[in-house]
Amino acid sequence: MDFAYILEALPDLMTGLKTTLIVSFLAIFLSCLIGLLGAVLRTSGVKPLQYAVTAYVEFIRGTPYLVQIFFIFYGLPSLGMRFSIFWSGVIALTAWASAFQIENFRAGLAAVGRGMYDASASLGLKRWQHSVFVILPLATRAALPSAMNTIVATVKNSAYLQAIGLVELTFVAVDRIAYDFRAIEMFASICVIYLLCVFTISGLGYVVERRLSRPFGGR
Amino acid sequence: MTAKEKTAEMTDPEIAVELSGVDKWFSILQVLHDVNLTVRRGEKVVVCGPSGSGKSTMIRCINYLERHQKGRIIVNGTELTDNKKIIDRIRQDVGMVFQNFNLYPHLTVLENCTLAPRWVKGVGRKDAEAVARAYLERVRIPDKADFYPNQLSGGQQQRAAIARSLCMNPKIMLFDEPTSALDPELVREVLDTMAQLASDGMTMVCVTHEMGFARQVADRVVFMDAGRIVETAPPEEFFSNPRESRTKAFLNQILH
Repeated sequence: MDFAYILEALPDLMTGLKTTLIVSFLAIFLSCLIGLLGAVLRTSGVKPLQYAVTAYVEFIRGTPYLVQIFFIFYGLPSLGMRFSIFWSGVIALTAWASAFQIENFRAGLAAVGRGMYDASASLGLKRWQHSVFVILPLATRAALPSAMNTIVATVKNSAYLQAIGLVELTFVAVDRIAYDFRAIEMFASICVIYLLCVFTISGLGYVVERRLSRPFGGR
Repeated sequence: MTAKEKTAEMTDPEIAVELSGVDKWFSILQVLHDVNLTVRRGEKVVVCGPSGSGKSTMIRCINYLERHQKGRIIVNGTELTDNKKIIDRIRQDVGMVFQNFNLYPHLTVLENCTLAPRWVKGVGRKDAEAVARAYLERVRIPDKADFYPNQLSGGQQQRAAIARSLCMNPKIMLFDEPTSALDPELVREVLDTMAQLASDGMTMVCVTHEMGFARQVADRVVFMDAGRIVETAPPEEFFSNPRESRTKAFLNQILH
C-alpha cells in the first residue's frame, strides 16, 4: 500500500467528503422531518392520508434504491421536473431515508400508550399540548435507536449517488482509480473515512440516547 | 329562556355528578345499561363489582374519557356534550387517578405537577411550583419533587399522581382502581392519602376493591354487575345486609 499516494489524494478525497456530508446532512434533516410528519399522518385515522403514506413507504421499500435514483435523475425530467445532480441526489437520498424514518417514528408513536392520553385529557390539556409536551418527547425516545440506524444508513447510501455523477467521496475514489489504478489505496481510504463518519454519528446517537433514557432509569 | 339557562335552573347546586339513563356500547357490546347515579357535593362514593362489570367505563364517562351514547351526564350543573369547550372546562374541575398512575415518565414529579396548571390555567412557573410543592408535602413526598417517576416506588408514584391531579384544584376526584397495580405493602399509604383527602371534604368517586377503605370512608357503596348498578347502600348496610343475591355472591368471594 502506497501511503504517499493516499496523502497526495487526500485533498481530493476531502472535497468529495464535503459533498457527502452536505448531501447526507440535508437528507438526514429532511427525512427526519418527513418521517415524523408521515408517521403522524399514518396514524391520524384519516384513511386517504394513511393509504397515501403506506403506499409511499411500500414503494420505496419494494424497489431498488439505485432504480429510485435513476428514476429521479433520468425519469423525472421527461415529466418536466429537472433538478441538478446535487438536488437530484438530495431528493433521492431523502426519499429513500424518509420511508424508513416514517416506519421508525410510527413505532415510536405506537410505544406511547393510551394511558398518557388519558392523563393529559383528564388534566384538561389540549390535543396539541399533549402532542408537543408528551407524545413528541416520548415517541422520539422510543424511535431513537432505529432512527439512528437509518441515519447511519443514509450516510453510507450517499455513495450510490456517484452513479448519477455526484462528486462525492466514492465518486472521487472511483474517478482517481480510473486514472491511476490505485484501487486498494483508494477503497481502503474511503472505507476508513466512512467508518470514521459512522462512528462519530453512532457515538453522538449513543450520548443522546443515554441522556434521554436517564429518567427511565436507563443505562 | 335558553336551554342552557333551563339546565342551570333545574340543577341542584348540591349535586356534583348526575348520571341518568346512561347507556354505552363498545361497537355491538353494551357495557352500560340504564345507569343512574347521583353524587352530592362532598360525598364519597365507592364503586365495586366484578371485572368487566362497567365500573371503570362508568367513571371514565364522568370526565368524558369515554362517550356515552344514551342518557345524560351532568357534572357541576353542566351537561356533557361533544362541545370541546364544555369538556375542557369540566375536565379542569374533575381530577382523575388511574390504576397505572399514568405519570409522564420523561418529566420530574414537580414537572408532572406543574404542566397542566401552567398550560391549561396559565399559572406562572413559580406559583405553579409552590402549589405543587405544597401538594407533594400533603401526600408526604416533598423530597421526591425532582425525581423521575421510575425512581419512585409504586405507592409514591400513585401519591405523586394524586398530587398532580390536586394541583388543578379539582372539585371532584375520580379514582379508577388506584391501588390495584400496587404491591400489597404499598396499598396502605395510598389509601391513607385518599382518606385524608376525603376528610378534607373532597367529592370522590372511587372504583376499588379495598373493602376496608369503603367501610371507613364511603358514604355510599355502589355495586355493579354486567353494566348495571345492582345495589346502592351505605357501607354498614351494604356489607352486613346486602339485598341482592349477586351482591351477596360477590361479597362472599372477595371478603375471604
